[in-house]
Amino acid sequence: MNLAVYLRRYWQLYALLVLPVCYFIVFKYAPMYGILIAFKDFNFFQGINGSEWIGFEAFKEVFAMKDFYKTLRNTLMLNFLDLLVSFPAPLFLAIMLYELKTAWFKKLSQTILYIPHFISWVIIGGIVYQVFGTQSGMINNIITSMGFEAIPFLTDKNDWLITYLAVGVWQSAGWGTIIYLAALTGINRELFEAADVDGAGRLRKIWSITLPSLKPTIVTLLIINLGHMIAIGFDRPFVIGNTAVRDYSDVLSTFVYRIGIESGQYTLATVVGLFQAVVGLVFVLGANYASKKLADQSIM
Amino acid sequence: MVKAQRGKMKAQTLLALTLGCTMLLSACSGGNGNNASNGNTNASGSTGGEAASGEQVTLKVEVFDRGNSPAGSTITNNYLTKYVQDNFGTPNNIKVEFVPVPRSEEVQKLNVLMASGSDVPDIVFTYDSGTFYRYAQQGGLTDLSELLDQYGSNLKTFLGDDTLAYGQYEGQQFALPAKRAHLGKYSSFIRQDWLDKLGLPVPQTTDELYTTLKAFKEKDPGQTGGKVIPLGMSLAPAQFEPLLWSFIQPVTEEQRYTLTQQLGSNDYPILLPGFKDGLQFMNKLYNEGLMSTDFSLDEDKKKLNEDAAKGLVGFFSEDDMNPFYPDGLYATLQKNIPDAKLSAVDVYTDSEGKHPKPEYAPVGLYLMIPKSSKNAEAAVKYLDWMASGDNLLAIQNGVEGENYTLENGIPMAKADATDEIKNRIYNWGDMAIISNGKQLGETEKNVESYVVNMPEQFQDETRKALSVSRSDTIKPVLFDRPIEAQAKYGTALRDKLNEIVVKTTMVKPDQFESAYESMIKDYMAAGGQAILDERIKAYEEMKK
Repeated sequence: MNLAVYLRRYWQLYALLVLPVCYFIVFKYAPMYGILIAFKDFNFFQGINGSEWIGFEAFKEVFAMKDFYKTLRNTLMLNFLDLLVSFPAPLFLAIMLYELKTAWFKKLSQTILYIPHFISWVIIGGIVYQVFGTQSGMINNIITSMGFEAIPFLTDKNDWLITYLAVGVWQSAGWGTIIYLAALTGINRELFEAADVDGAGRLRKIWSITLPSLKPTIVTLLIINLGHMIAIGFDRPFVIGNTAVRDYSDVLSTFVYRIGIESGQYTLATVVGLFQAVVGLVFVLGANYASKKLADQSIM
Repeated sequence: MVKAQRGKMKAQTLLALTLGCTMLLSACSGGNGNNASNGNTNASGSTGGEAASGEQVTLKVEVFDRGNSPAGSTITNNYLTKYVQDNFGTPNNIKVEFVPVPRSEEVQKLNVLMASGSDVPDIVFTYDSGTFYRYAQQGGLTDLSELLDQYGSNLKTFLGDDTLAYGQYEGQQFALPAKRAHLGKYSSFIRQDWLDKLGLPVPQTTDELYTTLKAFKEKDPGQTGGKVIPLGMSLAPAQFEPLLWSFIQPVTEEQRYTLTQQLGSNDYPILLPGFKDGLQFMNKLYNEGLMSTDFSLDEDKKKLNEDAAKGLVGFFSEDDMNPFYPDGLYATLQKNIPDAKLSAVDVYTDSEGKHPKPEYAPVGLYLMIPKSSKNAEAAVKYLDWMASGDNLLAIQNGVEGENYTLENGIPMAKADATDEIKNRIYNWGDMAIISNGKQLGETEKNVESYVVNMPEQFQDETRKALSVSRSDTIKPVLFDRPIEAQAKYGTALRDKLNEIVVKTTMVKPDQFESAYESMIKDYMAAGGQAILDERIKAYEEMKK
């Protein structure tokens, strides 16, 4: 088969490939050029090329900043707690939904559960202030009207942590179930029937059939999540955080925003970004290696 | 098998080819962008000499977008943009184009705009002096001294030397600061009807205020059902600054120069003697329940305004005359509670019995022309045009006889003008960039023009509030050189300051001391010390 024939036969496939490849080049590879900023005294009137090389000066400066360690700690802490709380939540939900027999109720609950995913964090932030405010928040109004003392959900750092995690679960759990539900549809129904014959109860079936079938999905998602340990979305901590809880709500992404976009110190911001990327890579590879060794599951 | 192998190889070559093509594609699109900007520079370059006869120049001017354009007009196309085009643009063969930047993110957006290199407006501006210094230091701005002499004589006279001094960086005129019409900043307001109801006098000192706040709390004269907020507080400077400054002890000139910390455009008394006492007072008010509980969540005073309009707040400080605007806080309050009466008062006192509060520097926006601009000449001409003749009057007030009438030299907005006519000048403040506030030649007139343009029933209180805002004021400290550490750390430290205020206010009184110590230590380590050192050095050199 010569090239012309081959092309005529398969050109559609290559045409399909053009867009995604373009996307990766323009949005994922080309911006890597900007990493150079981390090693330069970036002057944005002279551009990346025109700025002077400074080697690892900027790294030294960042690693000497107290706020860097604070935000690093907070990033890891929030992500770790989030993993503990938000990772199992969709799994439980998916299994419960899977066990539901009434089709219309199942569909309805599923829809209601994943609506929050489509609400922007800015709006969620507004809702959170209305609901959790100390002086005029809905929940505290109820608490105080019953004669108890108001709980500073947003202004005490420990209470804030709970609010932050709870809101995260509310926002993401429903959406997360989709992947699990998709995996669950792949389970061979005969397995359940056989288990019924053997006299297995509902919990036994969940434990011995449903969960093992979900194992590859769980591991894959866990690896992906671990890769994001060091990266943290900007919107959620920025919108829900406030000055009173800076000790916990200040994370790497808001730190980058403050020194980069607000103070115009692009070099330092790039250093932090690069640091995040490198540590993130280490986490993914580490998790992948561990899961390969321990559970014989991996994504690479 | 072999065939399959060959097919695979072909697939690989083709994949590489596709990759190559797409790379080429993206390179081309980049090239296009360059071409476009080259075309622009050519067009503008040729019009350097004779503006009127040559090719048309496109002058791009930044404009704040507050998202409040009335129906039928946009921030880039409205009565005032047309006025500028017809009266300045067309006669000079210049096409004036406005580039919107959201007001709430001006610094961030401007940074992004400047960093993007292409498509930067010819006139950009910011309220943040730190940002201006940074641009100047990095060599991104055009030196305007000569252009100003050549094309800007009206502008130079209008701004005056005091104001122009703020736009200099190491002897070069890198910015043209807008002239501020009225330097007063803060005033305070109290619910007069509450005082009357309780038979209390207007508090004259901070101590008396404390007693009054306690009475508000205990007797709840507004019948709020326990929701009373005696002192309305937020995390905006207008609420905490007047309180904190009033605790600052008398200082020497040297202390004032060296211990003040300028973060962003404002001076803060963080290291001045008395700052701690101010925080301690806030701590006391907070822990006794005399202050807004959620003030730390309220950076834009939204909550405070809401609470005050609902009639829950007894006393608060605010930007000079903010509550009195039509449909503003006071109007809403009276709608909710018809007998509510708000009085402008001057309460916070220092150890000498004065009512010190900061005043504005005589500048507003820092107007800058990026070095990359090829239209610096046209830009200066535009600003000069604005300062000459009646142009500023027309931009700020509209058309005489339709929008306003002149009374004793003060333009009075016509109350009976139709919305369409009123809407002509809805964004006059953002278009008249060479001035901050209405300019009528002298401060008294400027202030009076604010007063007469307020709703009639609020005019007396407005006059009072404005005179409060101008009494016992503390002028900002201006060095003859920029303090680099301020440009570098200012923004981050401004956040730290908020943290200091919030933390020390909200801790239990017995933990105040340790919270204060650790916060100040943190502040100094994060750049406060660097600013202090540099200011001490700059002061010594200035005195030599």
